Amino acid sequence: MEYSQKVLEHFMHPHNVGKLEHPDAVATEGSPACGDQVTVYLKVNEETRIIDDISFLSYGCASNIATASIITDLAKGRSLEEAKQITYKDAMEALDGLPPVKVHCSVLAADTLHQAISNYEIAKGLKEVPDFTKDTIVDELKKIIYPQVGEDIVSLKMVKYVGYSNGEVTIDLNIAAFDTWRDNVAEEIREHLQKYPAVKNIQINLP
Amino acid sequence: MTMTKGAIYLDNCMTTKPAPEVVEVMREYQTERFWYPGSFVSTGEAANTIIEEAKTAVAGSLGADAKDIHLTSGGTLANNLALKGLLSANAPSGGHIICSVVDYPDLLTNAAWLEKQGYQVTYLPADQDGFVSAEALHNAIRNDTVLFMTTIVNHVIGTIQPMAAYKAVLEQAGHRIFWHADAGQAYGKMPLDMRELGVDTLSVSAHKIHGPQGVGALYVKPGVKIGQLLHGVKRADNLQAGGYNPALLAGFAKAVELTFTDLPAQVKYLRDISDYLLKKIETTIPQVELNGPGGAGRVAHNINVTIDFIEGEAMAMMLDLSGVTVATGSACASQGLTPNYVLMAIGKNHMQSHGSLKFTVSRYTTKAEIDYTVDKLAEVARELRKRSPLYKEQ
Repeated sequence: MEYSQKVLEHFMHPHNVGKLEHPDAVATEGSPACGDQVTVYLKVNEETRIIDDISFLSYGCASNIATASIITDLAKGRSLEEAKQITYKDAMEALDGLPPVKVHCSVLAADTLHQAISNYEIAKGLKEVPDFTKDTIVDELKKIIYPQVGEDIVSLKMVKYVGYSNGEVTIDLNIAAFDTWRDNVAEEIREHLQKYPAVKNIQINLP
Repeated sequence: MTMTKGAIYLDNCMTTKPAPEVVEVMREYQTERFWYPGSFVSTGEAANTIIEEAKTAVAGSLGADAKDIHLTSGGTLANNLALKGLLSANAPSGGHIICSVVDYPDLLTNAAWLEKQGYQVTYLPADQDGFVSAEALHNAIRNDTVLFMTTIVNHVIGTIQPMAAYKAVLEQAGHRIFWHADAGQAYGKMPLDMRELGVDTLSVSAHKIHGPQGVGALYVKPGVKIGQLLHGVKRADNLQAGGYNPALLAGFAKAVELTFTDLPAQVKYLRDISDYLLKKIETTIPQVELNGPGGAGRVAHNINVTIDFIEGEAMAMMLDLSGVTVATGSACASQGLTPNYVLMAIGKNHMQSHGSLKFTVSRYTTKAEIDYTVDKLAEVARELRKRSPLYKEQ
């Protein structure tokens, strides 16, 4: 696998690594079971709503560390509203690209940043805890990358149907029986949805 | 020590560096002695002799006769010729096959294919050290069992399977069960004597013993029928149609000579170096665990450890940037983003597999290289643990 020089630089010498003392918000996403976990710490200026300081910890591969490093670089000194607009594609671009199979690392990094901002806003009473709806599921599915090509499964039209009622999630996927990534994609979906207390059961239907 | 790419190579399970003597003998066959074997002219006759020399060399290393050795393009072809050939000649209409969950992928992918052809397969479990018990084999045998296949030395954690106990079970089975063994990681690392081992077929590969890539051999016990899979011009072998690459055969023969002239001394060197490596890791880096068995149940050249709280691809990459090549069982470094199936089958969890590193040494590995590697690994572990949200000091 070929990583760009930028990825290697951020992997070997990551920026903003370590735990922040007395952070205003923290978020942890991913899990050791799937091989990557990122924690983001924020310090936010209460008046200007600007991210004064940010840091991360990472359990994961080289691109996991590099994407977390670059996402903290991109967010530092930005307002919360600006930082919310930072996407995984911005992180990838800043790293001169990632191999398709590693794109999910940049999604995890961006996701953790957004979750930390959301946690801050909820703690400060700036927003309510959002309800869990079908839209929440679709938003989560947009974060799941098909490793073969490095794009999300919603854009690739691999999701045929999403249903939600009383804690029961139903997802129909369009992914061939011989596809190497079939189990991986299903596993990722479960992982993304299981963290919501509202979700009681996840039914994934594969052709 | 200057550190160029792969300067310290500790992935000898994957492939080994060709011995200088091997390269030297091959050069002659690539330049002057390029002739194709099998024709009646003197050049062809001369080329024929290298086929016999290679067969004789491999036979000598296995306690077999040259006529029972079939030269192949590698271990995978040898495994396929054996498995499909044994079944097509002896059990073409189906039956029951036994292998294990920790077998080498060659055997497992063949088992999966054979299931699709109508054979039934039992996958024996492994214990926490990767051993597949003879008792499990005994209990799995049915009246229609036709084939048992086994990987003598596990390619991930170095477990040496109880071959003598398997032999006793198969001899007492009450009917003929054919037995194939993959010796990819066992060949040149422990004695293998076909007069005692009891297998019907066995595969070996040259590039695991400092020979060239692209050549291997299949042993077939005298009297055992193997169906022909490859059809074409038969030049020197009833199983292997088509031509040979004389340079590869010459290289293989030389590699066998170098490895087997004093096998006990070679094995002792590998054992000493890997013992030294493990001890050094365990005394230098806290919170490390050995995967697979310790002591005599483990092959001489394999050390597989999990470094807690950190991930293997990151470790392997940092070591690579310091000139050290190792392997990892991390999902992040695998083709399908899945953790290593052998580690999962012996009861390790995802994190233990993600954090695993496999070091496989060779006769060219020095203690100075081990010292450098473990020093670098200690630095890598310290640095990555500093970044890890999971790290807890003991």
